[in-house]
Amino acid sequence: MEQPAPDAAGDEAMDAFLEKFRSQPYRGGFREDQWEEEFAKIPLFMKQAPSEVDPRENPDLACLQSIIFDEERSPEEQAKTYKDEGNDYFKEKDYKKAVISYTEGLKKKCADPDLNAVLYTNRAAAQYYLGNLRSALNDVTAARKLKPCHLKAIVRGALCHLELKNFAEAVNWCDEGLQIDAKEKKLLEMRAKADKLKRTEQRDIRKAKVKEKKEQNQNEALLQAVKARNIKLVSEAAGEDEDSASECPGELFLDGLSSGNPCGARLSVDDQGRLSWPVLFLYPEYAQSDFISAFHEDSRFIDHLMVMFGETPCWDLEQKYCPDNLEVYFEDEDRAELYRVPPKSTLLRVLQHPRYFVKALTPAFLVCVGSSPFCRNYLQGRKVHQSFLASWLGRSC
Amino acid sequence: MGEAGAATGSLAGGVAAAGSPMPEADPEAEAAKLLPFLAPGARADLQTAAARHVLALTGSGPGRTLLAGQEALLRALVELAAAPAPAPARDAARALVNLAADPGLHEPLLAAEPRLPARLLGRALDPQWPWAEEAAAVLANLSREPAPCAALMAALAAAEPEESGLERLVRALCTPGYNGHAPLHYLGPVLSNLSQRPAARAFLLDPNRCVVQRLLPLTQYPDSSVRRGGVVGTLRNCCFEHRHHEWLLGPEVDVLPHLLLPLAGPEDFSEEEMERLPVDLQYLLPDKQREPDPDIRKMLIEAIMLLTATAPGRQQVRDQGAYLILRELHTWEPEPDVRATCEKLIQVLIGDEPERGMENLLEVQVPEDVEEQLQQLDRQEQEQCVREQQERELSPEPQAEGAATT
Repeated sequence: MEQPAPDAAGDEAMDAFLEKFRSQPYRGGFREDQWEEEFAKIPLFMKQAPSEVDPRENPDLACLQSIIFDEERSPEEQAKTYKDEGNDYFKEKDYKKAVISYTEGLKKKCADPDLNAVLYTNRAAAQYYLGNLRSALNDVTAARKLKPCHLKAIVRGALCHLELKNFAEAVNWCDEGLQIDAKEKKLLEMRAKADKLKRTEQRDIRKAKVKEKKEQNQNEALLQAVKARNIKLVSEAAGEDEDSASECPGELFLDGLSSGNPCGARLSVDDQGRLSWPVLFLYPEYAQSDFISAFHEDSRFIDHLMVMFGETPCWDLEQKYCPDNLEVYFEDEDRAELYRVPPKSTLLRVLQHPRYFVKALTPAFLVCVGSSPFCRNYLQGRKVHQSFLASWLGRSC
Repeated sequence: MGEAGAATGSLAGGVAAAGSPMPEADPEAEAAKLLPFLAPGARADLQTAAARHVLALTGSGPGRTLLAGQEALLRALVELAAAPAPAPARDAARALVNLAADPGLHEPLLAAEPRLPARLLGRALDPQWPWAEEAAAVLANLSREPAPCAALMAALAAAEPEESGLERLVRALCTPGYNGHAPLHYLGPVLSNLSQRPAARAFLLDPNRCVVQRLLPLTQYPDSSVRRGGVVGTLRNCCFEHRHHEWLLGPEVDVLPHLLLPLAGPEDFSEEEMERLPVDLQYLLPDKQREPDPDIRKMLIEAIMLLTATAPGRQQVRDQGAYLILRELHTWEPEPDVRATCEKLIQVLIGDEPERGMENLLEVQVPEDVEEQLQQLDRQEQEQCVREQQERELSPEPQAEGAATT
């Protein structure tokens, strides 16, 4: 606002001053088109404080601020001002700013423990609403050190533990608070709530344990059934590491039983005690595969092949994969030898073959068309045991 | 000379005539001789010996009766029980425990030291006092009788208004490690005796406070049947307050699961049955043990029985799956009188609702002739129990646990 410095009082000076307004318009007034904005900038008429006070934009406000936050005032006064500022931000739910204000207040390290306890507790509340529960807990602990009977700090601490699901701690804090005020309603409610949640959590742990035990028993029974049939299992990791052999092989298989294979199918047992296996059929000629999620051990290969190859599959370019043409083999990986599987045998018989090792609890078989060039090529140069029975009895064929 | 002779003769005679014909030891006089050695200033080793002697006396009925007449001795004993080391405070306290166990000694004790309950209370609740357990035991014995119990209530009330005496007692009982030297199990029976008084129950059941809730976990306290018994006794007495039943059975207290849990074993319920039980009773692990003390089991069942006195209470007890737990308990229960109590409760749970006017069984007016019949039935049942007990004692066969048909 430009104004010529007033002269010493005098009518003439006054007249001269007033004369000026004839020629020079008053430029200190509001502009008609933006008077509301300018109005709002005057501290006295502000409806809302600007979030940042820029001394160039708002020199009056900056001036007032510097008075309030004058470094020459006592630490207690300054801390109290910061506390009030924090509380105002808190009311507006601006929790981040509130934390900053309270922190500034604590930085003053004033000598009033009550004030500091309140600053810590209020900051804890702001942190709570920001979701910083650990920081909030640190703050209430600090508050309680300064003022052990500060109930608000205890209530806030119990709330934090409740949110963090530390139910036993929440109950302890409530009890400590109730020792100070035995009838505090918030604490009574929270204690009942936390106690119930604690007992429910304990139930959930027991339930999970019972389920785990049940599953473990089932898996052990399955392993027993497999063992009783003299079927040999091999884990994927076996043979790689000397040490892994010392680990109980049963455990590896149990894990496999629980997790099932990637397709989610697992070894299962029916009401008559008969097993069903997830089985993989591999077609090396076309690098295709079929997965049977539950191959009953008493069913025969031919039964499944009849169903699977009722229509020739899309990848069968020569349309030659019919059940009658198919030959089934399994591979003894150790010796890199193949064994012919008679299609009419049951899965169980084959699994019980002395050289059959079930890998990853999923038996796998190779299928190709016997008379095809591919098959002859595939089998050439490899040791193939054509007679199932003879190979079983250990006679070479 | 003759006179002098006669005089001596008559003196001796006098002496002889006054006491027993033979110069035997007079027990009362002997006891009175102990007094100076029990006094505060006496030599520590003499004090110890005297205290031990008194302790031995308190072990027998006649010994206690003898001490009953020795007011000064009792007062000295009380002082000694509170004296700091090296005084034999522990033996003195144990002597008091034995004396207090005998109701005939209560009047003499209180006459010798009218402030005895207050002083014992102070010691029992002092976190630093090494013989706090003994002080609590004396109080437990004393408070069994109404007059000392009233005196104890008065002593507790005198501690207020800064802090409720009962609150301090409950806190000492519920806070683990309250006293590093003494476990304070006997505060359980003290509280149980106090809970016979309406004022104590009013405090325990104050809905604006959290008191009875803190006692509930102690029904499972493994290390002391004295503490468990005291807490369960307290809860049972509280269950007489039928106006509080709804609150007790509701979520703010949730008393029923805590009463059922000690009665539950490692039952394998079906999933559907399991979901009907309260959370605390679901999926109990296979090593879950039932309450080993039959008297405590009986008190637990009685407490639940009390909660079924009103129709809404009965409904809540039914809804919270009590029947399942009691059914299994009945199959397992080896003690005949506990089994009978269990049966009665099961009858209430599965029976029909009573007619109008009988909704609150605690307030029903029983006509005289019915009353007589019921007493007759009770007597018959008692006799039956005693007979069964005798039969078992004559031909003991080990009870196979868990040999129950499902």
